[in-house]
Amino acid sequence: MKFKTVGKLGAVALASTFILAACGSNNSAKKNSVNFRESAEIATMDQSKVTDVVGLTQLGNTEEGLYRIGKDNKIENALATDTKVSDGGKEYTFNIRKGAKWSNGETVTAKDFVFGWQRTVNPKTASQYAYLFSGIKNADKIAANKANYKTLGVKADGDNKLVVTLDRPVPYFKLLMGFPIFFPQNEKAVDKYGSSYGTTSAKTVYNGPFKQEGWKGSNLSWKLVKNPDFWNKSSVKTDTINYQVVKDAGTALNMYNSKKLDQNTLTGDQVKQYKNDKNFVKYLNSSTFYLEFNEKKDKYFKNQKIRQALSLAINRDQFTKKVLADGSEPATGLTSAGLAKDPKTGTDFAKEVNVPEASKYDLAQAKKLMAEGLKEEGMKSLNFQLMSDDTTGAKQSTEYIQSAWEKIPNVKVSLSNIPFKNRLANSQNGKFDAVITAWGADFSDPISFLQLFTTGNSLNNGKWKSAEFDQLIKDAGDKDANNPEKRWNDMLKAERILLKEQAISPLYQQAQSMLRNQNIKGIVYNSAGLNFDYSHMTVK
Amino acid sequence: MVKYLARRIFYLILTMFLIASVTFFLMKLMPGTPLNNQAKLTASQIHTIYQQYGLDKPLWQQYVTYIVNAVQGNFGTSFQFSNQAVSYLIGSRIGPSAIIGAQGMILGVILGICTGSLSAIRKNTWVDGTANIISILGLSIPSFVFAILLQYYFGLKLQLFPVAGWGGFASTILPTIALAASPFATTSRFVRTEMVDVMGSDYIELARAKGLSRFGIVFHHALRNSLIPLVTVIGPLAVGIMTGSMVVENIFSIPGIGEQFVKSILVNDYPTIMGVTLLYSGLLCLVLLITDIVYGIIDPRIRLSGKGE
Repeated sequence: MKFKTVGKLGAVALASTFILAACGSNNSAKKNSVNFRESAEIATMDQSKVTDVVGLTQLGNTEEGLYRIGKDNKIENALATDTKVSDGGKEYTFNIRKGAKWSNGETVTAKDFVFGWQRTVNPKTASQYAYLFSGIKNADKIAANKANYKTLGVKADGDNKLVVTLDRPVPYFKLLMGFPIFFPQNEKAVDKYGSSYGTTSAKTVYNGPFKQEGWKGSNLSWKLVKNPDFWNKSSVKTDTINYQVVKDAGTALNMYNSKKLDQNTLTGDQVKQYKNDKNFVKYLNSSTFYLEFNEKKDKYFKNQKIRQALSLAINRDQFTKKVLADGSEPATGLTSAGLAKDPKTGTDFAKEVNVPEASKYDLAQAKKLMAEGLKEEGMKSLNFQLMSDDTTGAKQSTEYIQSAWEKIPNVKVSLSNIPFKNRLANSQNGKFDAVITAWGADFSDPISFLQLFTTGNSLNNGKWKSAEFDQLIKDAGDKDANNPEKRWNDMLKAERILLKEQAISPLYQQAQSMLRNQNIKGIVYNSAGLNFDYSHMTVK
Repeated sequence: MVKYLARRIFYLILTMFLIASVTFFLMKLMPGTPLNNQAKLTASQIHTIYQQYGLDKPLWQQYVTYIVNAVQGNFGTSFQFSNQAVSYLIGSRIGPSAIIGAQGMILGVILGICTGSLSAIRKNTWVDGTANIISILGLSIPSFVFAILLQYYFGLKLQLFPVAGWGGFASTILPTIALAASPFATTSRFVRTEMVDVMGSDYIELARAKGLSRFGIVFHHALRNSLIPLVTVIGPLAVGIMTGSMVVENIFSIPGIGEQFVKSILVNDYPTIMGVTLLYSGLLCLVLLITDIVYGIIDPRIRLSGKGE
């Protein structure tokens, strides 16, 4: 008897489960809306605090700055209606658009820029991107606690004129203005919410193409809806972007295949499977992976032949296609491909540098140079450690490079795969022999890469130095700062020196591969700065 | 009893304090900073930011500050989620974890008891054999493999349940089943063994001799007595669910606390690591305490207090 009752109850429970489940999955898709995936939560919506890619993408699409950066880094007026550059590139005067509104009803004025920028450079805010303000008058002094944050070189002349004074010409200044860190902030809202500003959708104000709804601070789904108060709302063609955080790549692919997602970023294994799919799209990131050799700790790495031998032993084509196989491409230099174009000819910087020997594969030459190098150093054999992250990809990389290097006689390599943060700490403290480093550009200018390798830069982990290189980078920053062509040539020469001396050994440039429904068009992608701009996206 | 309870609670607090201290110092031994943008910051820039968070102070000073604040219920603010209080983070994420955890536990234990008793009653038949195989599978297949299989077949292929996500009862079904596997198998094996033991005991013989019905014997005498020892395994099972939920939450994209914990360790989010560690260890201590008390209540042969009390 009792078993029967239990059985009946069970059947009812099971049946109701199915009915409920059927209700739950009956999600009708709204027109003009898309479902996107992020693989991490939003960390913050506070422009002064943001560091994460998810937060930056959200801010870039919900807030508006002086410019929007269009396709191929084209600078388009946004809140700035026109710009005057004077005093040898050290003063910028922006006329600010009239009638732009914040979502709390306030008018967007020049004062909002002054407020936002001062807030970001204020050491009390502890912004991790404050260093990007370097070059604006007094920014460095403020960062070092030697000046008040209110002395920053930015002033509002009435509501619609913004004047920025620089310490030195910053040739990429306009590009920076398209980055959310430099967008205005509404003082009233920031004061109202205090330290909780930007911690939820409701505690953030918007002046951009979209408004955010439903983010409660750490939840995994939210949406962007078209902002009816946006000054340029007629250009925004998408009504809603629904976001779902899915961390597990397999889950995300299942969701994409069951049409719950319209776009999904793929992992290496998935790329192999889907690279011929009609919905497959690939974007090259602005991050280059390269080897650094610790010349301070290991004197033998000061020998150029040894560095060159190690570089020549790596077959980058095979490495990216067979080992990584995630869409990454061989790197031919330090500056990533697709980052910046020659102001005169339009040729890509990475292509124009053209130092093929720095990323060539030639094992015979590698053996010869290694033998010569070891002889010069009075050494019989080379025994050192290669350090990298402990991710699957990084482990595959180190194993491949180890086997490539050990094809050279008398070279023994041990591996150290450690967590990302440990690797960074060891790199900066000089606790390594050779390391695989990745650098992503903050803005679309080669200097974002090149300035790393000046003497004394604390992120120059290998401590390679060259007086000629230093001079060229210096010239690019002052003497030739206002002459785009000369500056371009300085940077080209500098990178050529770096590569010819094999200060680093370029490995590969990372790509982001995804599946995206073909009815989604008009997404603007730039490899540095704000990656994805959805303000002109259309859904058919 | 009161005295016993007081002593246990004192030990619980002491344990928590020790866990907090050890975790604090171990955590600080990890290299790297809690800053997201660490790769781009120079040592002096990091130092400036550290000053704002008090991370430039000597370690013992940071420790004292932390303990004093924690005692007052202030666990600090997270680094990865700028300006979010750790207590808010935990509070907003504990719900989903608790729901799937509790559902998984209840489902697993109830099914386990049914299967276990069934195979004990039908000992050495095909029913017993099948139940054995199922529970061995349940024990040996890791929950993440099970979760992926469930997701693929019931979510993607049959489209019966949402593939992943959080919202409504339907989205809890697959994770609940995935979590229930291990408690189900353990309970089933355990109940079977106990029940077989009990079924062979004298008082069951007596009941049978009195002419009681078979189900009467099973329900009133055998089952009740074989469930008592089950209380001891419920504690460890609950702990298993807590740890198992980390993976299951990740696979089903559930905004729970488990996967948050793993992430906070990877990014050196000190306040969150401490908060979640204390939460887990507190829960664990509490579960063990309750198990001991309940065991004493339902089985008078177990004495909680020492002699002479």
